[in-house]
Amino acid sequence: MLAVSPLRNTRNDENKGKMESFSIISSEEFPDFAEGNLLESIDFDDLFIGIDEGDMLPDLEMDPEILADLPTSRCDVEESMNTSVEKTDEDSSQRKEEEEEEDKISGSGSGSSSSKGEEIFSKREEPNAVDKTPSKYAVKGRKSSAAQAKNNNQGKRKTKKVDWTPELHRRFVQAVEQLGVDKAVPSRILELMGIDCLTRHNIASHLQKYRSHRKHLLAREAEAANWTQRRQMYGGAATPVGGGKRDISPWLAPTMGFPPMSPMHHHHFRPLHVWGHPTLDQSLVHLWTKHPAHTTSQPPQPPQSTWGPPPANPSFWHHHHQRVSNGLTPGTPCFPQPIAPTRFRAAPVPGIPPHHHGTGGQSGPHPLIDFHPSKESIDAAIGDVLTKPWLPLPLGLKPPSTDSVLGELQRQGVPKIPPSCA
Amino acid sequence: MGDSSTSYIHMVQHLIEKCLIFNMTKEECMEALSKHANIKPVITSTVWNELEKENKEFFEAYAQSQSKQDRMSEEETSRMIQKMISDSSSKDPDE
Repeated sequence: MLAVSPLRNTRNDENKGKMESFSIISSEEFPDFAEGNLLESIDFDDLFIGIDEGDMLPDLEMDPEILADLPTSRCDVEESMNTSVEKTDEDSSQRKEEEEEEDKISGSGSGSSSSKGEEIFSKREEPNAVDKTPSKYAVKGRKSSAAQAKNNNQGKRKTKKVDWTPELHRRFVQAVEQLGVDKAVPSRILELMGIDCLTRHNIASHLQKYRSHRKHLLAREAEAANWTQRRQMYGGAATPVGGGKRDISPWLAPTMGFPPMSPMHHHHFRPLHVWGHPTLDQSLVHLWTKHPAHTTSQPPQPPQSTWGPPPANPSFWHHHHQRVSNGLTPGTPCFPQPIAPTRFRAAPVPGIPPHHHGTGGQSGPHPLIDFHPSKESIDAAIGDVLTKPWLPLPLGLKPPSTDSVLGELQRQGVPKIPPSCA
Repeated sequence: MGDSSTSYIHMVQHLIEKCLIFNMTKEECMEALSKHANIKPVITSTVWNELEKENKEFFEAYAQSQSKQDRMSEEETSRMIQKMISDSSSKDPDE
């Protein structure tokens, strides 16, 4: 997301103002970027309502004539625009170094676009007599131009509104990639696409949007790659551990205390079957069965190949890295969460692997180390069931017939359930 | 009326299954459900029994695993006790 913190440019208030307006536009322009599959999920028409009305491309606040005739200069302005916005994105990583750079860029950017900005602001001022601040201008300007667009649909539109279907867009992307993204010129793209009903201007505006999207994508991919690297580090650590099963257990114990049964977990684990690391699966299965029971005659023991260390699957981590990083401490990313729900299907599996069940009235001496499941985890599990009755049964045991239960209860003196008073 | 009973029983079953995952005994389960979910122990026990009837194999294996754990824990426990004794006896001279 291009959510820019306004605190960044303390040196240049002017720039700050401009930056804010740009960033606000940008963040409003690209609301869908939080999700994956940007290009597919984004309906280009919706994103730029009212902007594709022909002459105005207010998001970059550029003179459309320049846009039409001078692709290189447009690119430059665009580049500087995008880099200035981008730099704010990378803020967290290299603040100090880039501060100078981006001051320069934003200085030049705002310098070059300030005049245009004023132009556009003045243009917008007309429909919008109300707002004073530039940022509001930016926002309202868009909206008013949207309103204008709808009004002036018949009048001002010189280029026909294009419906960018996925197919069309795909061809567009093909053409662009053929030419090279940076070199792709609308006229050439038009040639390559060979579609009659597209004008050069349609392509030009679409190209502009596409380029912005790409920048976003790349930024996010870079971030995802970072995560992937880190996961790979842990993944590398995990595989040798797979061999030493016993060594795993104390390591896992604290994290296996209780699996976080968050609502996300169900889709979190569906992709796992794709990755199944066979050896590790088996070792994990053995790990689990070893501790509670040393026999293989475990009740419902499905050969679950759904466990596996999440390998470096960039898209996966891209989507879920936040969740993973929240739930895990470094060093334990590979096992706990993927195991959690499937673990239940593997029959009585303890919450804590070294489960020395000394209490419960079956053996006399109270163990010195109490491996009994903690009250909190039990409470959490129970609470979970109570609040989410729709959840599937963890073990999926065959339910008894209601009648027999009720009958039995009546014999015990419980007339009806649920009881009116517990 | 029948439906609410069924869903209630279903809920109790769900809770019991959770306890099974924690490797709890029937008594522990009754206690936990009573404490945390306000379910009368007699109800828990009845549902447990019924479940056992329907899923004999499972519960047999479950019981086996439980007993094995106990044996292990006893060993572990006695070892720990011995260790404690030896530790404390080594400490004694200081006191």
